[in-house]
Amino acid sequence: MNRHLKVAFMVAPFLAVLGYIGADYYNESKANKTKVIQLVPEGHCDVINKSCVLKSGDFKVNVSDTEGVTEVNSTFPLDSATLFLVDKADNMTSYPLGMQKSPYYWRSNTALRGFVSNKGESYKLRLIAKIKGGQYISEFYTQTTK
Amino acid sequence: MENKETYWSENLRLIFICLAIWFAVSFGLGLLLVEPLNAIRLGGYKLGFWFAQQGSIYSFLALIFWYGAKMNKLDKKYHSEG
Repeated sequence: MNRHLKVAFMVAPFLAVLGYIGADYYNESKANKTKVIQLVPEGHCDVINKSCVLKSGDFKVNVSDTEGVTEVNSTFPLDSATLFLVDKADNMTSYPLGMQKSPYYWRSNTALRGFVSNKGESYKLRLIAKIKGGQYISEFYTQTTK
Repeated sequence: MENKETYWSENLRLIFICLAIWFAVSFGLGLLLVEPLNAIRLGGYKLGFWFAQQGSIYSFLALIFWYGAKMNKLDKKYHSEG
């Protein structure tokens, strides 16, 4: 091993550490930028019959309603979740959901069941779920099938 | 004296080439282009991920030996002591 190789082998670990620090800074600044990601329903959405999953990559949100209490359950912890009921004139009523036990479960009393409790009825909903460094948004229709 | 300066400038040129390749492989392929590269699979792994985890280290090792070989040639060319 000549002197140049020795020097190169001595310098390489410092460059590797420098690269690691640089990559960490880059990834951190990228993660801190606020991102808006759209969630799309996975198949048919029926909130009343607990069959409504919104999806974006590995992130999934299950929206369900039990006796007037609408619940949101996600695969990643949320910072906050707000559900909006949108009528035909595009007027919104917002329902900020409260955290239950863990940041994976959020719920609130809503008027949704009153609008779509009968078979065949549908209603437009919007959901904003905030996570660290971004927010997931979705506009979707729930239709009661049973 | 002139020989020494040329030797040093060629050495510096080599170092900058090595640093450029180091940056291109580690940051370019492992971070900046990771998404498009991940569309390609290498032995079951996403290529961008593979570069960030293993490919860059293999490249650094190859770079070290390439630098050593090039410097050896430079030493012979300028009759420097190895």
